[in-house]
Amino acid sequence: MHRHKNGALALSALVVVALAIVGASTASPSQSERQFKGFINIGISTTLSGSIATLGQGGLQGIQLAAADLNRQGGLLGKEIKVVSADDNATPATGAANVRSMILDKKISALFGPVSSAVAAAELQLTAQYKVPTFLHTSNDITLMTQRWTPYAFQVVPNTIMEPRAVAEYLAKKVGNRKLNIGTFSPDYVFGRNSVANFLLALKDLGVNHAVVGQQWPALGAPNIAPQLSALISSDPEVTFNIQFGGDLVNFTNQAAGYGFFKNTRMIGMYSLDPLKALGDAAPSGAIAFSRAPFWGYKKNAAMTAFVARYKKAYNAYPSEWAIMAYSAVQTWAAAVKKVKSLNGDKLVKAIEGSTTPTIRGPLKIRACDHQAEVPEFVGTIAKQRDKTVGHKLWNPEVFIASPAKTMLTCAESLARR
Amino acid sequence: MDTVVIEVSGTLSAASSLFLASAGLTLIFGAMRVINLAHGSFYMFGAFLTTSLVGFATGARFWWAVPVAALAVALIGAGVELGVIRHIYGKEHLTQLLATYALFLIFADLALRIWGAESRAVPVPKSFFGSIEIAGEQIPKYNLVIVGTAIAVGVGLWLLLKLTTLGWRIRAAVDDPESLEASGVNLQLLFTVVFALGALLAGLGGAVISPQIAVTPGIDGSIIVGAFIVTVVGGLGSILGAAVAALLIGASETAGTLAAPDWASTFPYIAMIAILAVRPWGLFGQPER
Repeated sequence: MHRHKNGALALSALVVVALAIVGASTASPSQSERQFKGFINIGISTTLSGSIATLGQGGLQGIQLAAADLNRQGGLLGKEIKVVSADDNATPATGAANVRSMILDKKISALFGPVSSAVAAAELQLTAQYKVPTFLHTSNDITLMTQRWTPYAFQVVPNTIMEPRAVAEYLAKKVGNRKLNIGTFSPDYVFGRNSVANFLLALKDLGVNHAVVGQQWPALGAPNIAPQLSALISSDPEVTFNIQFGGDLVNFTNQAAGYGFFKNTRMIGMYSLDPLKALGDAAPSGAIAFSRAPFWGYKKNAAMTAFVARYKKAYNAYPSEWAIMAYSAVQTWAAAVKKVKSLNGDKLVKAIEGSTTPTIRGPLKIRACDHQAEVPEFVGTIAKQRDKTVGHKLWNPEVFIASPAKTMLTCAESLARR
Repeated sequence: MDTVVIEVSGTLSAASSLFLASAGLTLIFGAMRVINLAHGSFYMFGAFLTTSLVGFATGARFWWAVPVAALAVALIGAGVELGVIRHIYGKEHLTQLLATYALFLIFADLALRIWGAESRAVPVPKSFFGSIEIAGEQIPKYNLVIVGTAIAVGVGLWLLLKLTTLGWRIRAAVDDPESLEASGVNLQLLFTVVFALGALLAGLGGAVISPQIAVTPGIDGSIIVGAFIVTVVGGLGSILGAAVAALLIGASETAGTLAAPDWASTFPYIAMIAILAVRPWGLFGQPER
């Protein structure tokens, strides 16, 4: 009996304390509520747990910093920007459920998209139904802007045609007419399969003399890739195109280095900030690296320099490509809201189509015909020495910036794919 | 022919990784009849703790980080047994699955909060950095550590179960727990020790593998599927079965990458279905009585 009484007492105390806390937080309007005339919710449903969480967390931090920066400048339409976030577990059904809840319960005015293209595909139908402008800043499958096109979605990331074309263009410049034996290594899902196919197609289009000697398709996030890796090494490729990202690329690099693989092959991989940081000195110097928006690729860009400083101050880390692209997505949306002075989905879509917005990535143009941003892809080589600023290896100073004019589908080609 | 060495090395490395991930799982099921879905969490904690203990510097710290991480995970395992698992012995498998799945989710969230979402890498210790040449092919020196640890764990467990009092009691607990308890053995303490030992093996696996992988949130879920396949194919509770199954699964995937790379990931599942169709209780398991 005593135990029950004690338990009831403890519960009562807990309730009282909880009510006191709630009371304290609702008793008087917060500073932000006094300053703004209400608030605008924006949503980000992305992968915040599991093996690709690094990308989602980076994106979320970019969105949060963008909202904070907007609020510091007085918000939008006099209202405070609030970020509503949810974890999609890299699952389309969870992503769709998150977005439905954000639209119906949180009344979000814009959605900033997920990591996975499969999740994005599930969400786009919903946001189109409710006319919520949606910005894809990480998921980059070409089908999202072609076969699965909806009028309310915009892609501010180089897509699965632009990215491999950029790498192929760089390679073509380097190798000339020499014949190359190429191996590919890719996560076994739509992004990886499409990227590899488009890379090989681009090599063919560019007239690069090549033969494919081995192709391996480990599962996304698989920790044990020894069988696929040993098969790739056995095929003895002169050049290896690896479209893995984040932790998977770190995993591959660590294991392949043990075989002395990088002495025998020219590695091409998505060595963006996160894997370079994780690999430290183990990052393969001289390997060809590509990335969608590395901050070190934006030279003489004051807006990017200032952003990097703000991000470093806010999170005590340098911004990943995922954070940069997410931030620029919010800038694109915010500029349109300011222009039309409304949150109406249809008005915003019209304002964004064909618009050019000054962003931390420079002027960012959204093509009217398919809502694809005209953004470059960056290709370079991994440096030998640690970068003095960030404390680990980055790229050598010479960075090839692939022009979107050369890598994008034409409007006619894009429309033909719908 | 000259690539055979690389293929064999890849197979052994894959099999050893699988065995290290599954040995504790099968030990716990064998002794306690508990299906522990949180086993991958112990593996993940072993890897993350190693990253924290080693930091980003190479050197001898790795060699003490591994046992410290494994022991720390054993303590976590003991705590989990005392706090949760003890209360679900003898319950339906579904109850056990739900309880341990809840632990899996809680631990995943905890790891995310402690270590964040970033990928972490543990540098290969200097003495095993680089490669050795076998038959003209370069093989990672660190593969020797992984294969050696797997062999040591397998032999160690076999000796423990066959030759020690603790092993005798564990085997007796499987066959006749009531008689064992009647003979004065503290069954609850025994189960705590076994569960902690299983957790230690998972932690050891995560710690030893950590220089070869990217340590990220999600490795708990990534390894649990492979570990379960090995455990089920080998026969629930059989250490020898887990070793043989790990080798078979590793070999089938390697064969897949050579014969049909597009379908390589499917090969282990095909092997699993084929084996379970013939022996539903696994290679070295026994039918449920």
